Amino acid sequence: MDNFANVGWSEMLLMAALGFSVVFAVLVLLIFIMKAMGWVFTRQKKAAKVAVQGAVAAEEHDAMSDQEIAAAIITALKLYKSNLHDQESEMLTINRIARAYSPWNSKIHGLTQVPEHK
Amino acid sequence: MISLLQSDFLLDSVMKFVETSGFGAFFAPGGWKFAVMIGIACFLLYLAIKKQFEPLLLLPIAFGMLLTNLPGAEMFHSELFAGGHVHWDIFVDNAGLIDYLYLGVKLGIYPCLIFVGVGAMTDFGPLIANPKSFLLGAAAQLGIFATFLGAYALGFAPNECGSIGIIGGADGPTSIFLTARLAPDLLGPIAIAAYSYMALVPVIQPPIMKALTTKKERMIKMSQLRQVSKTEKIIFPVIITIIISLLLPSAAPLVGCLMLGNLMKECGVVDRLSKTVQNELMNIVVIFLGISVGATATADSFLNFKTLGILTLGILAFSCGTAGGLLLAKFMNLFLPEGKKINPLIGSAGVSAVPMAARVSQTVGQKENPSNFLLMHAMGPNVAGVVGSAVAAGILLAFLS
Repeated sequence: MDNFANVGWSEMLLMAALGFSVVFAVLVLLIFIMKAMGWVFTRQKKAAKVAVQGAVAAEEHDAMSDQEIAAAIITALKLYKSNLHDQESEMLTINRIARAYSPWNSKIHGLTQVPEHK
Repeated sequence: MISLLQSDFLLDSVMKFVETSGFGAFFAPGGWKFAVMIGIACFLLYLAIKKQFEPLLLLPIAFGMLLTNLPGAEMFHSELFAGGHVHWDIFVDNAGLIDYLYLGVKLGIYPCLIFVGVGAMTDFGPLIANPKSFLLGAAAQLGIFATFLGAYALGFAPNECGSIGIIGGADGPTSIFLTARLAPDLLGPIAIAAYSYMALVPVIQPPIMKALTTKKERMIKMSQLRQVSKTEKIIFPVIITIIISLLLPSAAPLVGCLMLGNLMKECGVVDRLSKTVQNELMNIVVIFLGISVGATATADSFLNFKTLGILTLGILAFSCGTAGGLLLAKFMNLFLPEGKKINPLIGSAGVSAVPMAARVSQTVGQKENPSNFLLMHAMGPNVAGVVGSAVAAGILLAFLS
């Protein structure tokens, strides 16, 4: 208590103001440091993301050109076949479909067999 | 005749036994104080068990209080620590179990060990993702310095004002660490006020939060936080320890231990140590800390107007801290563009009391807007408050020790 014999209101107010300001100053300093750290890490992440996106875009570009070639061939074939179809015989035909017998789809096997009484 | 003598002898023996027993002490001058203290200890046990007010700490504190106030049991000898020093010359001959346990408080060991565990249980990710939270954590320390002045106005000595003010940090280990060094006589009332009011955060904070914010402000939705990498989480505790310890060496024990625990958790290579400090070590230290802090609440040190003043100032500390965080968040919103505004409710979480204060922000925010999730946003100021109160304790220690 003797250590504080000369402490009055002015010293207490000064201590409170100084203490609160130091808390603020230290934490504001930490904000800047954390922001800088965040900036470095997000920049690294962005750079890595851009590199990955570039590689994906190049692959997509290659894939697109292949797809375009395929689309052109398909369109050409379609057009060719459509042209063939333009002249029709105007004859309607019903094709018979002959189903080969198979015991696996035979109706008789699907029915319940009535047991024979002997 | 012989039988009469024998009956007198018997009566004397019985009287001597009654006088030396604890019950006899209740009827001695000032004995009523023991009865009152036992009543208070039982009330605190009721709050811990039935109402579950921070039971992990309040229960051992209340039981320590009960043990120390049993007349004749002599469980704790405050004279061994009189004048703020350990009297080693008479310690070994006179000390009991609780005196030995109290050395951990007196030498500042338990609060630091608890901080290792707290660090290992804390995720600083929201704070790293949004460093502005440090400002809210700093503003909430207003409670500490306002109470520091309030205590002086009530006639407390400057060192006692520092110990009472730190209640506003809403951080039990920090309060105990600082009080054991600045005003050990007030350890009992300050620890009880700190832990009781921490448990009462859901009661104390909401009315202040509603009074200082508008409905529109409480409904503000905040954008999602960025993801924080593992490397950032590992670097964070190392940087904080270096910077704060260099700036404020007196805060190094608390901040260093907090960050050590956090590094153990985040590095991922010492899982066994991390689990130990979070569970076994933490639990053991809490038992020792609780019993020995409770034991300091003797009738002479507790039943006086100082205790009443400390309990009143404790409420002031929590209220000012809550208001400080809220008001700074509102002030920051004046400069932030639409879409990046802060919900002021997260400012109140800056008073530490992890994670209770953050949960209160979430609950109050969801009452206004059920689709609003503020918990992770509030965790930023909440853990910033822990760092802020440790820094404030370091400053007060540097000023007043």
